[in-house]
Amino acid sequence: MRKLPVYLVLDTSGSMHGEPIEAVKNGVQVLVSTLRQDPYALETAHLSIITFDERAKQVSPLTELSMFQLPSLTANGTTCLGAALSLLAERIEAEVHKSTAEKKGDWRPLVFIMTDGAPTDNWERGLEDFRKTKCAMVVACAAGQSAQTKVLKKITDTVVSLDTADSMTIKAFFKWVSASVSFGSQKVESTHQEIAGMSELPPPPPEVNIVL
Amino acid sequence: MNFNDIVPYLDPADKEESLKEFFGREDIKSFLSEKWKEYTDTEVTLPKDTDEQPLSVQPEEIQTVTNPETPVDMPFIPSIPDDEETRARYQSLFSETRHEMFSRKLKGTHIQFQNGKVNQPYQMLLDVMDLGMPEVGRLEFIGLNEIGLNFNPETCLVEGIPTTSGDFKIKLQCYLQDWKEGDPVFEKPVTLIINPDPRALWNSIPTPEDIPYYKPDSDCKYVKIGRTKGFLGMGAENRKDMVAASQRGRSHAHEGKPRDDDFSIIHNDNTEWYTAIVADGAGSAEYSRKGSEIACRTVSEVCDTHLTKYSKEIDELIKDFDRDNSDSKRKKLGDALYNILGSAVFKAYKNIEQEAVGNDAQLKDYSTTLLVALSKKYKFGWFVATFWVGDGGIGIYNKETGYLKIMGEPDGGDFAGQTRFLTMGEVMQPTEIYKRLRFEIVEDFTALVLMTDGVTDPKFETDSNLQKPEKWDALWKDITSKVELTDDNEASAQQLLKWLDFWSPGNHDDRTIAIIY
Repeated sequence: MRKLPVYLVLDTSGSMHGEPIEAVKNGVQVLVSTLRQDPYALETAHLSIITFDERAKQVSPLTELSMFQLPSLTANGTTCLGAALSLLAERIEAEVHKSTAEKKGDWRPLVFIMTDGAPTDNWERGLEDFRKTKCAMVVACAAGQSAQTKVLKKITDTVVSLDTADSMTIKAFFKWVSASVSFGSQKVESTHQEIAGMSELPPPPPEVNIVL
Repeated sequence: MNFNDIVPYLDPADKEESLKEFFGREDIKSFLSEKWKEYTDTEVTLPKDTDEQPLSVQPEEIQTVTNPETPVDMPFIPSIPDDEETRARYQSLFSETRHEMFSRKLKGTHIQFQNGKVNQPYQMLLDVMDLGMPEVGRLEFIGLNEIGLNFNPETCLVEGIPTTSGDFKIKLQCYLQDWKEGDPVFEKPVTLIINPDPRALWNSIPTPEDIPYYKPDSDCKYVKIGRTKGFLGMGAENRKDMVAASQRGRSHAHEGKPRDDDFSIIHNDNTEWYTAIVADGAGSAEYSRKGSEIACRTVSEVCDTHLTKYSKEIDELIKDFDRDNSDSKRKKLGDALYNILGSAVFKAYKNIEQEAVGNDAQLKDYSTTLLVALSKKYKFGWFVATFWVGDGGIGIYNKETGYLKIMGEPDGGDFAGQTRFLTMGEVMQPTEIYKRLRFEIVEDFTALVLMTDGVTDPKFETDSNLQKPEKWDALWKDITSKVELTDDNEASAQQLLKWLDFWSPGNHDDRTIAIIY
């Protein structure tokens, strides 16, 4: 079975404390229970969650949707985006299988990065590691006014922003992520092609702005 | 001051106001502090059973006890009376803290059910010892029975077969050791996730019959070829039959989209040529269902016409090639096949192009793969010629001898990147057509099989596996366990169609297979 790996890379720094982190938790839960009802996603999509604050941590290893269990998320500390990118690269290398003569490899991963602030570590070094991995699609989300879209633009072309990091807006973002994973799963299953750009994702809701 | 001064204030009761006033008086205050000093400085005395003593008793009447173990300059801590009532009172205080402690502990304990699946046996060990809660005497769960599960206290197992899917809030109830009626029961909500059966999530919506180029969602056919006549009933022998089936994929059925695959199998009783074709219309092309249909029909018709017209010539070339395997004989036969099969393929391309023009559409809207096999039995064995463009597979398989011949290369496979289609101009160059022609003479075969990628992907997964006889053995075992491929068994067409519905996660493409056996 060729799995479609989905990595959620989530900022759990102190500024996410309170409403934002609760909204993220809720968003992930809704995402998982929605995708479980989608036959394409249930069979192909695998989900992992990497959080970053003072350090980066893979709180959920890449797990098939049916076996996925919600990790506990708490927000405090700084914003080590660079460490998160390095860890992401390392995990993709370890968890996503490459094609061999006897076995078709996994689909290239879909990555969703969400942050609400400026990175506090050497993010360029993390980016260097991350550039070595091959992903089908990387979406970076700047949540709220303090997030730095300029930094995110260096990581990926596909950057979206949320005007505020309140629960309604974050919820809308996760709904869109969920729909994107559905699209991606359906595409690989039906056409054997990967999602190749923003234009192939479902149109984002009004709360999610595309950063040009 | 005399104690008697105080007594009137205390008795009779109901003098709250005056009591306050009394204790507020400076002389009373200083008297009391003086007396307290006296009291603490002298031998410690303890009024016994103060509750029961009338307040009017004289100080001299109060019995004093001496606690020999308590140094005089230390504050005295009274020992707890050892009577039943006091014991009961202290016991309840003690158990209250015990309860509070457990409640905190339960709150802090991470309890998680592993996820389950509908209709699949579920089992999870939930041992209070493993959870670090040895004080729990009994566990109960509210909400398990409703989803088909139960908890067995003997084995500490949550087990059963979940009947419904969803995220369920199960209430865990803890009864502490020595629990008795009236004691608190500690509760904790725990989420239990039961996944739906993936098969149940797939809808099967019939394709609307009013769409352009409608075709039925499934199709199957059997071509029965009777025994040879022999001479006066002597030497009559069974002849191979043909069977084919085509089934719309779940991913199409889920959205009410049509089947894009097609096939054609015919046997010409005069020339004794077998023609088998499968075609897979590209999922991304709007009218590919028509492309695959035109391809199958055209190639089948053109080949039959040519093979009838040049029957004798072809027979001679094949016999010649069998006798003399030289390059020149091979070239001669190849050229003849190019003129028959190659021109049939090219005609299919032209017919699709014409259809596209007539429908004001583009040729690529009719993109389709094409796999063709022509076969005929001679005294020296079976001749098989094939043409193959796109993914899928054609193989000559002999179960007895382990012989396997894959008649070409799946292009658009793992490394080629893009799938090739019949409808691509570059594929229709004469050299490209020639390159895709193959022919072979084999002694006999168990089956000549043509498949679209809806079958090869789940059954072989990679191009390299397609070359492995053991993979073919497995496929053949699988097919024949469900389909009775005996001579002249027309029921096998329906059985083959049913077999095509096999379950393979992530593989829900249209599936088509044609077999000469």
